[in-house]
Amino acid sequence: MSRKPIANARGPASGSTTSAALPGLSSDDMCPVCKTIRYLNKDMEFLIHPDCYHFMCSNCVNRIFNDGPNQCPYAGCHRTLRRKGFRTPFFGDLTVEREVDIRRRVAAVFNQHEEDFRTLRDYNNYLGMVEDLTFELVSGTDAQRSSAEAQLQQWEAEHKADIERNRKAGREADEASRRRIAAERDAARQRRIDAIKEAEEEKLERARTREAELDTLASAPEGQRPGGGVQLKRRVQVNRAVEAAAAATTNAAGVPGGGVAGAQPPMITKLSIQGLKEKRKPPAPEGPYDPFGGMDFVPSRYKLHDGLVHPDVDKYRFDLAHATGGYSFDDYRARAMFEAFAGLGVFIEDEKEVGSGLSASEVAAMSAGIAAVGDKMELD
Amino acid sequence: MATEDVRYRQSSQYRLWSFSPSKLASMRETTNALARASISERMLASNSLPASNNPSAPTSGVNTPEPDGATPTPTPTLPEFLTPAEELMLVTLYTSELLRAGEHMGLTDEITSTAAALFRRFYITNSIMTYPPKDMIVVSLFFGCKAEGTFPSVDHFVKALHKKGPEEILAGEFLLCQSVRFALDVKHPFRALKGATMELRRYGDIEQSRIEEAERHAREILRFSPHMTDAYFHYTPSQIMLAALSLADRGLAERLIQATFHYVAPSTSNDSDTPMANSDVGTKEARREAKAGEDQAAIIGSYVRDKVLGTIEACRDMLSKELPDRKDHWSSIAVFKVQFRPTTRKLTKCHDPDRWDLVALQRRRREQVMDKADSEDGDPEARAGTGTAAKATVDSDAAVFGGALEPRDNKRRKVLDDPFGGPL
Repeated sequence: MSRKPIANARGPASGSTTSAALPGLSSDDMCPVCKTIRYLNKDMEFLIHPDCYHFMCSNCVNRIFNDGPNQCPYAGCHRTLRRKGFRTPFFGDLTVEREVDIRRRVAAVFNQHEEDFRTLRDYNNYLGMVEDLTFELVSGTDAQRSSAEAQLQQWEAEHKADIERNRKAGREADEASRRRIAAERDAARQRRIDAIKEAEEEKLERARTREAELDTLASAPEGQRPGGGVQLKRRVQVNRAVEAAAAATTNAAGVPGGGVAGAQPPMITKLSIQGLKEKRKPPAPEGPYDPFGGMDFVPSRYKLHDGLVHPDVDKYRFDLAHATGGYSFDDYRARAMFEAFAGLGVFIEDEKEVGSGLSASEVAAMSAGIAAVGDKMELD
Repeated sequence: MATEDVRYRQSSQYRLWSFSPSKLASMRETTNALARASISERMLASNSLPASNNPSAPTSGVNTPEPDGATPTPTPTLPEFLTPAEELMLVTLYTSELLRAGEHMGLTDEITSTAAALFRRFYITNSIMTYPPKDMIVVSLFFGCKAEGTFPSVDHFVKALHKKGPEEILAGEFLLCQSVRFALDVKHPFRALKGATMELRRYGDIEQSRIEEAERHAREILRFSPHMTDAYFHYTPSQIMLAALSLADRGLAERLIQATFHYVAPSTSNDSDTPMANSDVGTKEARREAKAGEDQAAIIGSYVRDKVLGTIEACRDMLSKELPDRKDHWSSIAVFKVQFRPTTRKLTKCHDPDRWDLVALQRRRREQVMDKADSEDGDPEARAGTGTAAKATVDSDAAVFGGALEPRDNKRRKVLDDPFGGPL
């Protein structure tokens, strides 16, 4: 427990349920009802009731309220309390305890997000209104407090659905982030385990290979030894590579699955907050990037048949310079065929008469530029 | 739309350097008019004209009128400029020289053709009166090599074409690049011809010798005719190739076209038999089929075929005006004397005084750039004042009389403007 009860902390005259200031709670204090001191009862525990924030020891609570609702034993406090409402205060200063309680309650009712508002200014106005209300509830006069209370209740009644929805959204977001973090942690652990396992396997494999090599060397006849060893090693390497690839795919399948499961709920929450968020969402990605801008490379006028030969091309087939890597006769054929049929249906006379390209005025301007202002053009 | 055509439309040859005939003509006229205007302006400014109507009077420009004398102020006459048609004729003449030079140097067909195409492109946006065609031939050839991926040394070119020095070639390189709008990839019909013969061979029922003969002949045509005409501007490489093929062997070209555009729309009688009886699915299917059929018809249907045939026929007409046997015509001295001598004489009189010498032009521009850099270092007023554009033209005009005074001038001005007064 990090909290530190403050011995004689007295909150400002808060004008709360009791007109007097709330008494401070302290560990070495005595119970104001039964006057027991901690020296006599080591396990003494002070409890408060959120109606009036008067503290008393748990024994007193049991004694007074066991038989049903009863009046607060403090002098001048006429609240009727139930045992069920008593709890251990979190803060030593009961004024703080009370303010936190009130703030929690207000926040549960006014639980709008910034995204719900059209402008930042609207949101800030809303926050100011909420803060005013809270302040009145915490440290206003009686009249202010009652009116603020009435406002709060009215708001709560009117906007029940909204509040409920927001609350649910908040819960879901919390839940989602928790799940995501858990999934990430799981994945990391899984990866670690896999890595350890792989390392172990590799070590084992190495030992086994070594043994196998020694065996072959021992058993094989003279001529075959080195070759056999090499072959074996290679096979082992291939095996290991295959295994690694398989493991990688399963990993990949596992981790993104978790990621997706974790990532999906935020999408839902985004949708359920309100319609505003959807508009701001960036456009969905249109699949992988296409460097050719959607150009189609399947020929539509001709087919690349097998029997395409040309004596000028075939004579290079056995030429060493062309037989080296990188030169493809098929590519040449494809290119020649493409050039033979590309642009057959392009009728420049029709298309360039009004179409795009270099317009006459543009050309005139350009040649004027070159002819007249050419002196200024950048050199080299 | 056929995918091949879509791909061809991406090329710079289509986007920047394909024109309809009327537009090409109007562009040439514009270029000619602009060249006339700028050349006459420069001739008047540089005072280099002979006052032809009064040879006894001392030559003088309009800028310095004579003190009032008895003789009337001689108005310098401008020379007669070339017409667009004459310009085109000269460009064609020099293209033939370029082709011969390429052959002389043993360059490949692609390189020579690229050079010729670049040369012709260059003289669309520049007048032949502005830049010297004989120099540009060498520049085009040298640059054509580079554009086609072979990198010969400049010295080799200098030696082979009897030039004075490498700077003569290098001076025009950037100019050429800039004028062709850096569209250096020229699409040629040579590889297309190979593709076409491959396809013809595949049919199997044509004799090899016939194909070979046609290919050889067509290649001969492709080496010469498209460059001597405007075919590269008006037609696509495949159309040029088919036109050449049809000049070599009409039957083969037609066979290829018929086989390519073979799509025949299915007769509609089948569908119209029981249109009502068809189920909904059936009609949908039929509609989709009809749609696919339409697409096919737009790519390889008879309508497109007729249009392609018409285009190829037009291209064939164009090529047939300059068949390879006209090579002798262009290179013969007798013809030159009769036909071209007057025009070239005219050209020597009316060419641009400032830009005819590419080496000097480049040197001048270099100096100008240096001067600009100097002046920008030196005095901030020059930058802030009238603007760099106006300054540059003033500089270039001044550079005609020699740029030696310029730096000293700058220095003097700087001293005068020094807020702390002159030197002690």
